[in-house]
Amino acid sequence: MSPRVLLRFRTLRCWTLGLCLLVTAAFATPPPQSKVTDKPIKVSGLSSDKALALGERMYREGILPSGEPMQAVVSTDIPVVGTSFSCMSCHLRGGLGSWEGGIVTLPTNGAKLAQARYWKFPNLSPEERQSMSLKVAPQARPAYTDETLAHMLRTGVDPSRRELHYVMPRYDLSDQDMAILIHYLRSLSMDLSPGADATTIRFATVITDEVSPEDQRDMLVPMNNYINLHNQLSKGFGTRGYYSVDGDEMIGAYRRLSLSVWKLHGAPGTWAVQLQAYLDKDPVLALVGGLTYGDWKPIHTFCETRKLPCLLPLTELPVVSDSDWYTQYFSKGYYQEGQAAARFLHQKGDPASSGRILTISQDGAEGAALARGFRETWSELGGEAAVEVQLEKGEVLSPSRLQAILQKEKPVTVLCWTGGSSFQALDALAGRDGQPQVVFMSSRLLGSKVYDLPEKARGFTWLTYPYRDPKEEPNVSKYAETLMAGMKERHSPSRIATRTFSMIQVLKQGLMDMNRFFYRDNFMDRISMQRDQVLPDYLRLSFGPGQRYASKGCYIMQLSPGPKGELMRMSEWVIH
Amino acid sequence: MTRRTWNLAGLLLGLWSMVAPGLLAQAPAPTKRSIETYTVPEVTLVNQNGAKVNLKAVLESGEPVILDFIFGTCTTICPVLSAGYANLQAKLPVESAKVHLISVSIDPENDTPKVMRDYLKRYRAKPGWDFLTGRREDIDKVMRAFGAYIPNKMAHYPLTLIRDRKTGKWIRLFGLMSSSEFIEECRKDEVL
Repeated sequence: MSPRVLLRFRTLRCWTLGLCLLVTAAFATPPPQSKVTDKPIKVSGLSSDKALALGERMYREGILPSGEPMQAVVSTDIPVVGTSFSCMSCHLRGGLGSWEGGIVTLPTNGAKLAQARYWKFPNLSPEERQSMSLKVAPQARPAYTDETLAHMLRTGVDPSRRELHYVMPRYDLSDQDMAILIHYLRSLSMDLSPGADATTIRFATVITDEVSPEDQRDMLVPMNNYINLHNQLSKGFGTRGYYSVDGDEMIGAYRRLSLSVWKLHGAPGTWAVQLQAYLDKDPVLALVGGLTYGDWKPIHTFCETRKLPCLLPLTELPVVSDSDWYTQYFSKGYYQEGQAAARFLHQKGDPASSGRILTISQDGAEGAALARGFRETWSELGGEAAVEVQLEKGEVLSPSRLQAILQKEKPVTVLCWTGGSSFQALDALAGRDGQPQVVFMSSRLLGSKVYDLPEKARGFTWLTYPYRDPKEEPNVSKYAETLMAGMKERHSPSRIATRTFSMIQVLKQGLMDMNRFFYRDNFMDRISMQRDQVLPDYLRLSFGPGQRYASKGCYIMQLSPGPKGELMRMSEWVIH
Repeated sequence: MTRRTWNLAGLLLGLWSMVAPGLLAQAPAPTKRSIETYTVPEVTLVNQNGAKVNLKAVLESGEPVILDFIFGTCTTICPVLSAGYANLQAKLPVESAKVHLISVSIDPENDTPKVMRDYLKRYRAKPGWDFLTGRREDIDKVMRAFGAYIPNKMAHYPLTLIRDRKTGKWIRLFGLMSSSEFIEECRKDEVL
């Protein structure tokens, strides 16, 4: 383009832009004008805490203080109730908004509402804009007052008289309910969370004292390699920020990372106190990874109570919950294997007529989680409750003990949630009259002994296998070696190093997406908005708001005959 | 181009800018409508009750059918699409109650029958609205068959498909619709 044409084009652009702005303003309903106030509307008759609790329920669940659902209109004329989808559905729990399917949901948190929004560099603070001489940049909207915010929530028209996208519901709220909601929005993600300052984001990882030095090393080496690599890069960047793929949004977001190791000693009942002491001394933004051989529940509960994120701890004994929010797990662990067995059986036939089922589980949390996963899923699928037998502490399932149980219960299917010590009993089953048709075992509980499954039992034994098909794994796991410098044994059966690597990939993406909005809730929101990841160990890790178990799958396998038996897939990754 | 032409173009654009924002502010952006021929793949999916569903048989049963693609934890598009379905069901006259609304999950790993049941309950769905999940390979086949394939569920787009019972063709509506627009489309296509 010649300079002259360019000049004309610019003139035209200015004309058009000017007219557009002028006319948009003329058509939209004018919002009430008032000065920006730092003080939220007083909620008459309610304490601030009570108003916050009621406002939170409106924001998250779409329920009015009266207990009735909020009423709104979306897409011009579609009535919608708050219990179908709430503010949180789109703006997310931290209020920083989302991007999905080409629709940008703007931030609605306290800090952002109290600031003017600019078309260019919208993430800069007013002080930064001032220092960069950007204060005269065109505004998308001025800061919201309580009055203009109420007007926008009712009409969809913001203080610059711009009408927001029609997917933003227009809410029908009384003055009192509106005041409660605004009171909550003003407090939402207002002050940055502890754990991040102008130069550093601090993380910690939890290790309990029974974890072997080898396993600790498998987790800590890749973690420290990543932190060192990141911090080496940050020497070049400082906190100056860098440009993301889509422009300028990452200004000022870059931070060094630090990792503390929080070692927990003694009985799980004392861990909460120890964790609190660590947190008081060293406030971190989130926990990352983490290792214990036992139940993760005490750490989970601490994180839930303190609203402290915990990203992908290396545990097979997570808390299985539909509503808990602050821990993102790899999977439901042993529970998920029990679940897969139930779904597989259901897929094979009508649960109501599938015959008697017997569960034998070893003593301990692993056997209990496997049994519970099956029990709850089978019941949900309409199956009749299985007979459950739990072995005594340290008891081995001997051939005579198994025969005695089978003669008494006469099951068609046996879920044998025990280790390799039961192989002799299984071997003795083969060819006997009245033996069960199918036996399920957990490959994770069997560990490397899975390949020692007796030849005669292979035909009727189904193995729950919660990882990628071993034949396909090496290619993907090789990728993880980028962070395993300094490790001799890189692929231990415990998969600690490779899963740590996967945790780091998810963390890296989460940090990028969190931008400079270092709120703990926003950290979890950004993790949950990630696209699916193909990483070592699990066939697929997938995310979504409220989804807290990234791997949803578990194969049912059988071991092929012969001295070098191979695992053969007998099911889909995810069984419906 | 002469100076006069530039000025005229500027004036016309300016005039358009006077009208467009006012119009666009009142109603959703117009949906992109096209008539398409699709071959429904031979796949068996699973509905919210855990029952197996032969997709081809359901879609080509001769009953009025509307199809969309959603997932249970979607943030923005699916809630609006589903509010549209719920509103349509609420407005359906009794004699048209046979219209079959189908939502196919694009997050089949998370959308188990239980998740789908809970989702439909949230939208106060009535019988006649089924949410289907299945093997990822099968879901991919369905998405591809309807020109709706997306590798990343977070990047999906709003799409509603109405089957024309007479011709077997599909009316493809790209974009989010208002209630009146959706009902008008259904009337036009004799679904109502």
